[in-house]
Amino acid sequence: MADYDIPTLKEEIDRETVEQVLALDVDKYKYGFESDIESDVLPPGLTEETVRFISAKKEEPEWMLEWRLDAFRRFQTLEEPTWAKLHYPKIDLQEVSFYAAPKSFKGPKSLADVDPELLKTYEKLGIPLKEQAILAGVEGAAESVGTPFGANVAVDAVFDSVSVVTTFREELAKVGIIFCSISEAVREHPELVKKYLGSVVPVSDNYYATLNSAVFTDGSFVYIPKGVRCPMELSTYFRINEKKTGQFERTLIIADDDSYVSYLEGCTAPSRDENQLHAAVVELVALDNAEIKYSTVQNWYPGDKDGKGGIYNFVTKRGDCRGVNSHISWTQVETGSAITWKYPSCILRGDGSRGEFYSIAISNGYQQVDSGTKMIHLGKNTSSRIISKGIAAGFSDNTYRGQVSAHAKAKNARNFTQCDSLLIGDKCGAHTVPYIESRNGTAVFEHEATTSKISDDQMFYCLQRGLNEEEAVALIVNGFVRDVLQHLPMEFMVETQKLISISLEGSVG
Amino acid sequence: MRPAFPVRLGAAEETLIAQLKAAGADQVAERVTVAGLPTRRVEAYHYTDLKTLLRTVPPLAQPANEATGTAIRVPGAYALSIVNGVVQHAATAPEGVIVGKTHGGVLTHRDDTLVGISNGLTKEALSLDLRGTIDQVIQIDHRIEGEAGHVADATKIFVADDSSVVILETFSGSDAAHVGNHASYLALGKNAIVTHVTVDLGSRATAHFATNEYHLAEGAQLRTLVVHAGSGLARTHLFPRMEGAGAHADVTGLNLVSEGQHSDITMETTHAVPHTSSQPLFKSITRGRSKAVVQGKLIVARDAQKTDAKFMHQGLMLSDDAEILSKPELEIYADDVVCGHGSTCGKLDEDSLFYLLSRGIPKAEAETMLVRGFIAELIDPIEDEALNEALQGIVDGWLLGQ
Amino acid sequence: MTTPVLEIRNLHARIEEREILKGVNLVIPQGEVHAIMGRNGSGKSTLSYVLAGKEDYEVTEGEILLNGVSILEMEPDERAAAGLFLAFQYPIEIPGVATMTFLKAAINAQRKARGEGELSTPDFMRAVKEAGAQLNVDSEMLKRPLNVGFSGGEKKRAEIMQMALLKPSLAVLDETDSGLDIDALQVVSKGVNALRDGKRSMLVITHYQRLLNHIVPDVVHVFSDGRIVESGDKDLALQLEAKGYADYDGQAA
Repeated sequence: MADYDIPTLKEEIDRETVEQVLALDVDKYKYGFESDIESDVLPPGLTEETVRFISAKKEEPEWMLEWRLDAFRRFQTLEEPTWAKLHYPKIDLQEVSFYAAPKSFKGPKSLADVDPELLKTYEKLGIPLKEQAILAGVEGAAESVGTPFGANVAVDAVFDSVSVVTTFREELAKVGIIFCSISEAVREHPELVKKYLGSVVPVSDNYYATLNSAVFTDGSFVYIPKGVRCPMELSTYFRINEKKTGQFERTLIIADDDSYVSYLEGCTAPSRDENQLHAAVVELVALDNAEIKYSTVQNWYPGDKDGKGGIYNFVTKRGDCRGVNSHISWTQVETGSAITWKYPSCILRGDGSRGEFYSIAISNGYQQVDSGTKMIHLGKNTSSRIISKGIAAGFSDNTYRGQVSAHAKAKNARNFTQCDSLLIGDKCGAHTVPYIESRNGTAVFEHEATTSKISDDQMFYCLQRGLNEEEAVALIVNGFVRDVLQHLPMEFMVETQKLISISLEGSVG
Repeated sequence: MRPAFPVRLGAAEETLIAQLKAAGADQVAERVTVAGLPTRRVEAYHYTDLKTLLRTVPPLAQPANEATGTAIRVPGAYALSIVNGVVQHAATAPEGVIVGKTHGGVLTHRDDTLVGISNGLTKEALSLDLRGTIDQVIQIDHRIEGEAGHVADATKIFVADDSSVVILETFSGSDAAHVGNHASYLALGKNAIVTHVTVDLGSRATAHFATNEYHLAEGAQLRTLVVHAGSGLARTHLFPRMEGAGAHADVTGLNLVSEGQHSDITMETTHAVPHTSSQPLFKSITRGRSKAVVQGKLIVARDAQKTDAKFMHQGLMLSDDAEILSKPELEIYADDVVCGHGSTCGKLDEDSLFYLLSRGIPKAEAETMLVRGFIAELIDPIEDEALNEALQGIVDGWLLGQ
Repeated sequence: MTTPVLEIRNLHARIEEREILKGVNLVIPQGEVHAIMGRNGSGKSTLSYVLAGKEDYEVTEGEILLNGVSILEMEPDERAAAGLFLAFQYPIEIPGVATMTFLKAAINAQRKARGEGELSTPDFMRAVKEAGAQLNVDSEMLKRPLNVGFSGGEKKRAEIMQMALLKPSLAVLDETDSGLDIDALQVVSKGVNALRDGKRSMLVITHYQRLLNHIVPDVVHVFSDGRIVESGDKDLALQLEAKGYADYDGQAA
């Protein structure tokens, strides 16, 4: 396999960053490069044949095909929802290709079999797939490529429609943890997949989830056995590369009794003029006393300065606190995508279970964000906490939409919600739409929302101390989102702070 | 938006369509025919699904020329009345008050079925032109008398520049299953100071709908208080609009909801120009199996810089099986603003209750005391003593009655 | 003769339609400390904001030279990098931003603007520790968000500490004594005096004479109705304390 000179790559990334920053007015998206990798691409269009093709390509068992076809039939009866505060031309699914895979891809693989071009792509993104280097004890190998991930991270890399490599599998297998692509799980662990797939997000949950159920191509599968604390961060890195393709990944994470896992997700795509569709489904299941921490840094291509191009990101993420005292925590940093439609939620079914949602959503240019969470209290003594920080700049619209509801049987349900919006400039909009539903006299809910701008006094103070306007804005915004930042894994924090600065460039002056 | 398939129309809708057509309101009739009554999918009706809640609509009420009672009496008030939609003859008006009648509906056209029905069915409205400092409270008593009837009535009120007035509108009637669709349009001149209190004391069988529209010119100060304390189904939709710099509105409301009742206060405040403020404050108290809804949207227009607006809803649950549903909303397009909202929900504070009990106050009395304290913020600002007392009386009556 | 650190010539400035500075002339040579005293509303604080470049104020006439270079066209951050520091009367709170983070951002921004390299973390920590020790600013305080929840004394100490760290050639202290008890005043004054090194110049704006017992000025100016109406040595401050500002009322008209 190819031997990379890591420092050179690092320099290349730095140079590229500098160039991007300099060329801000033109295009400031650092991950906008396209990788020159030969691909198998399914011609655009969605029919029953498409579903059969994907299933066959994945060598799936009959039950999986049936599951997909059922979803496809239901999908045909559904209409695209219009309730979100989002405006975009109707997506013509017949224009979208539902399957694209690097040509070199030939099923389960070791790093040595991976196309060097592809590895290069991930290196460029700062994603360590070189477990040998890290395992061999080359200290800081991960750090030196400027990765957001520390050395102690296992990665599943999903390129267009397929998982290309999953690192650290053997290490994890030693403690009984299953970490692989969902396609592989369907073949190798059908009992787990059958039991849990669609058990949190039912097949016909909503328009996009139903579409995903019919055509999902790949994604990650995690199973943490009873009593195991996952020794490293697990992560999936999604990359859309092909033109006119949709990405429909499916992630399923199961934390069995008394287990713990922290999971990171990152995503990027090349800069393209046309819009691309991303409709993922993530299902989390936490059994008795289990804890799942799920962090996302979403940096899909947001479109250019005129609002051309960019990813349409319609994602269904839901966690089921199925066991007693289980705990699911969502942390998200949303900086990318032309359109974001995403509500990572928790079903607090188990007595004493706990749900958390920490979110930073930044919109600039012509981005539109409609995101938030749902906390559904079903069990007794359940609690939830929501901290959302929305920052709108440029011509963007940024909406927090959330639901907190306590079922009649959810005795002593507790929720605390804090939603803050910050407006930068007078051409953007910030909106807050919470649904607060208490159906139980013992429930106690507290919700607070504020909207403000960076005060002139704060700006002047920072400028007087020598910071320029962009530095001052970045600093103040990083302060504004601090309550959320501190819930990110250490590996993500620094990268996120930088990402915030980059996302807001060009928003002042 | 038109749904893809025509909706199935129920008895209530069939009656409404016939009534609207007979009144010549073909457009509204068409709207009801195509979309039906608003369901939970219509955001403003998310928690008050009229298609489910309003199964039948009685025939239009026969004109009546006499009220058999009144909701409340406020000593010293100048009383006017509208019975079954007919504006009654008025006693000699105090200085600065001109009482009149206008024909047809009073509400600004908007995308809302109840507004459409109000405008379509209202035959005449009571109009008031108010000028100067008017010390007497003006009470407009709306009554629905006799057999179950559907009534659309309205008031249209102009308050001149630099004038001040307190207006009370009360709603009540016989025990039949009435449907009342009431509209109030208030325009406040420059620096006008207006208090507008509306109280629903309809029967349990009644469905009470009210739409209140307010336009505030420069420096105008508005205080509203909506009290739902009667009808089985009550919904008041408030549309205050700040149209001049310095305008300020304290938009307040109280849902008092008992077994089997459903009360909804929905507000949409628009800050259309720079330098305006509003302070919406709503409270809901529920007991038995009941439902209270408060929705409050603050809209700040693109150029409405320096808007200062804070919405608050507090829910108090006196029973385990009640529901309090709240949807505060911010829709903000200007950056130099201070806007926010809060919503809390819970039961009586146990520490406070314990403190009172430990001082020897019996539980029921202690609870009453705390509930009164909870509501005080809404009632206290009503400065007219007689009106303040009357409102306190309604709250006490609700607390005593089960 | 060396170039004065600050030279203000016939400065006129207004906010919206109201003229506040009406012809200020002032020269502060290197190393000198000048005090400006005046009634509330005489325009003292406006002068400090105009020097620092707050955008609400419009300079309609005159010139400001910092070390011989006109700063009128400079943005506030450029003026800071050029060596001007303003200790705010009411330091601004910035939630979520640790004081330490802010200091590092400021010091490196100024170094960058001057074409100097970033300070290494150990060097920075050393500098902060040194500056902090003088002013009783401990590491606990540096971890807290900037000025958020600081007492009056803590805010002013933090301001002077920033000054020590940023090493300006001209420091403008705007009512630094306001809101301080006598102990805090001593700490702050000690910090300020430690920064008098014969090169750095200071402009101390105050309403009361008591601050000038601690920070002894070389020259005292009396400010009234938007301009300097009298200048003298430190004794002028004592006279003012005894007689008040009444003598100057109407003088400028």
